[in-house]
Amino acid sequence: MFQALREIEGGISLSLNVAARLPRLRRPPILESFLRQVYFTGVTAATGVVLRATMLGVLIVAVMMDMLDADVDLAVKILLLLVFRELGPLVAAVVVILRTGTAVSAEMAMMRISGQTRALNYLGIDLYDYLVLPRVLGIMLATAALTLYIQFLAVFGGLVLSPFIIEASFTELAGRLFDLFTPVDFIYSIIKSFLFGFGVAAVCCWQGLNPPDLTQNSVPKVVTRAVTQSTLLVLLVNALFAYLVFGILFFGLVKANV
Amino acid sequence: MSALAVHYERKTPQHHVLLSVPQGAVTRAHLPDEEAKAHLVTALLKARGEPDESVELFGVSAAELKPRERARVRARVGAVSPVVGLLYNLNAWENISLPAAYHRTAPLADVAALAREVIVAFGGEPDRFLACVPDELTMLERKVAAFVRLLVAAPELMVFDALEEGLSHTECKCVARFETLYRAHRPAGTVLYVDTREDS
Repeated sequence: MFQALREIEGGISLSLNVAARLPRLRRPPILESFLRQVYFTGVTAATGVVLRATMLGVLIVAVMMDMLDADVDLAVKILLLLVFRELGPLVAAVVVILRTGTAVSAEMAMMRISGQTRALNYLGIDLYDYLVLPRVLGIMLATAALTLYIQFLAVFGGLVLSPFIIEASFTELAGRLFDLFTPVDFIYSIIKSFLFGFGVAAVCCWQGLNPPDLTQNSVPKVVTRAVTQSTLLVLLVNALFAYLVFGILFFGLVKANV
Repeated sequence: MSALAVHYERKTPQHHVLLSVPQGAVTRAHLPDEEAKAHLVTALLKARGEPDESVELFGVSAAELKPRERARVRARVGAVSPVVGLLYNLNAWENISLPAAYHRTAPLADVAALAREVIVAFGGEPDRFLACVPDELTMLERKVAAFVRLLVAAPELMVFDALEEGLSHTECKCVARFETLYRAHRPAGTVLYVDTREDS
């Protein structure tokens, strides 16, 4: 219990520290580190998700129309709702946790264990400035970019490849897509992916900088904790966000009809 | 009598370490063991002593320093030491230029010129040297990189911690030139060599 409270307090303090240090991003080594993080999290992950994201869109349309007997309208609507509101940001977050979250937490834990964070301190370099700020901002930006990329691929894949397995043409599907698309879905998913990216980065940095002990054995422990906690945080934020935005903001509190 | 750059005292049941380093002088300190050496170097770099230590830097007691003053004093001290190693995920150039770029203390072109000058002086090939990550450098090259990184800032107190450790006889002669190079950049600087009695 005490450990959990300490971690929540640490996460909040880390978030406030990052916010207060935003102007320092202009310093060359910090900017460079930020760009590296964006490249590693966003660009190098992009190639790995092409096939998976494309098949996701096809799968959604095919399941809706072929197995659940939905019409084009419903299939496209569900494709939009699922991909934009839920799956896009979630898939991007999972990719980021698995690729970047593990790497960041392990790298930071190794730096801590091998005394490199201490060396940075002796050089007068603030750990939040040099290690945390560029990673948190880089991961946030890359998660949002990756979300957009996955959404585009899933929707595009759904529209282009579905006509090969169901009885609907590309123009029919695309026409319905443009009719049903609303900017709210887009804005909603981008804000959510920024939050996911922030949560994942904050948890992984915090865990990496606070290993249970300063031995090599603590690296796998740090990575396991970082992955499980950031996954839980992403699911929690997702549920909270969905409830706040769609439960309260747009439709009022959801009440059961008796 | 000249002013002291360092006055350090540490009493433990095993040892009593007392060290006074005059400003501008070259001093060699042989500490009784690794633990005592680590304590001394850490106290100087942190500008802060443990409860059993008394540290005075440039005539000011470290215990009385406020955080900002402590940061200023720390900026006047540098060490070529295993305690302040190179960052393994950065290449030599990034390691050397990092403090200057972060603190904006010197233009990177000047840092590059200085780095090349020192690397050539030690018989290295600058382009290869600067592109290597620490794991690809020899022990001597790592010490040279750490030294150049410090030389950019040219601190008032330069601590050489176990400088000859892990080096061959020929390489030891090489690192002996660190002091001359440092003096060329800061003629009035203070040099403190520390090692343990077993090393010396």
